[in-house]
Amino acid sequence: MRLALIFAAAEDFQPQHEFELPAFVPIHLGPIDLSINKAVLYLWVGALVTIVLGIWIMRFGLSLRPSRRQTTGEGLYELIQGQIAEGNLPSKAIGRWFPYVASLFLFIWVLNIVGFIPLPISSDKFDLFGLELPTWGIYAATANLSVTLGLALITFIATHVEGIRYNGPVTYFKSWIPAGVPKALLVLIAPLEVISQFMRLISLSVRLFANMLAGHMLILVMIGLIFIFSSYAIAVIAIPVATAVYIFEVAIVVTIQAFVFALLSAIYIGGAIEPEH
Amino acid sequence: MEFLLAETTGDVADLGKAIAFGVGVGLGAVGAGIGIGNIFGSMIQAVARQPELRGELTGIQWLGFALTEAVVFYALLGGLLAYVLV
Repeated sequence: MRLALIFAAAEDFQPQHEFELPAFVPIHLGPIDLSINKAVLYLWVGALVTIVLGIWIMRFGLSLRPSRRQTTGEGLYELIQGQIAEGNLPSKAIGRWFPYVASLFLFIWVLNIVGFIPLPISSDKFDLFGLELPTWGIYAATANLSVTLGLALITFIATHVEGIRYNGPVTYFKSWIPAGVPKALLVLIAPLEVISQFMRLISLSVRLFANMLAGHMLILVMIGLIFIFSSYAIAVIAIPVATAVYIFEVAIVVTIQAFVFALLSAIYIGGAIEPEH
Repeated sequence: MEFLLAETTGDVADLGKAIAFGVGVGLGAVGAGIGIGNIFGSMIQAVARQPELRGELTGIQWLGFALTEAVVFYALLGGLLAYVLV
């Protein structure tokens, strides 16, 4: 009997519903679905915040005696220059690809951090003094495979375009195969190397996507346990665990994932420009 | 116990899928846990031996951490695919 009650309540609240994307403004161009939904709005918010943050940190009131804001900007620049760009991108390409890597880092970081701030972007409504307001919830654009795959595709295409442009197609595609492989093994090695290039695309996008999805899911499930078991006693355990996960995500995972995405992009592009490196 | 056995009608396949999913992701987490422990252990040793290299090693450490951690998510995604498709 109690089991049945639990499952009845569980059907009312399902954490994965937070990741469904109903279209706010349906736009269909033939078979292509360009509807504006929750993920698109989060992307817009993220892009806007990135632009404002970038301009505000880097462009105004720079002086020889730096303010705290300028120190933050310089720290950020040093982090990207020292840890990500230098040593991974060859010096002849650093001027061209540093801006890409830096904006990638900032953009993904902002998208991730915006995902942990409750925002009223949702199709669910709640009633407040007769007003229909959207419910506040957490959702990250990067917890959507399409977004991360899009970002990974830019890196993927840039890698091969730059590799071909700097080395010529023959040298570049030859460089995929490690030096000194016997001719007999070439049949086995060549397909593996081609597959590994596409595995990069998958691992780059899935890493970010699954990290953010798992983080959000964990928080939502922990809070959801209170509703599923419909008992306040659960809250004594669930709320501290959810808070701990939230702090872990915001303090560590958000930055690490943005850092690693930008770092791997730099490594891939740098490796394509100078294959023997 | 008899009560529980009497209740399980029809959804045994779902039960098996749920257990398989849990065990699969759990085993994936074991591997990544060992790997991440290794990375941080080696980092501590390295910094203890040569503290001046800390700055250079931090970047590599986080790269290794993220690459290893992603293994769990491959298990998670594979498990989810199997759970949904089978």
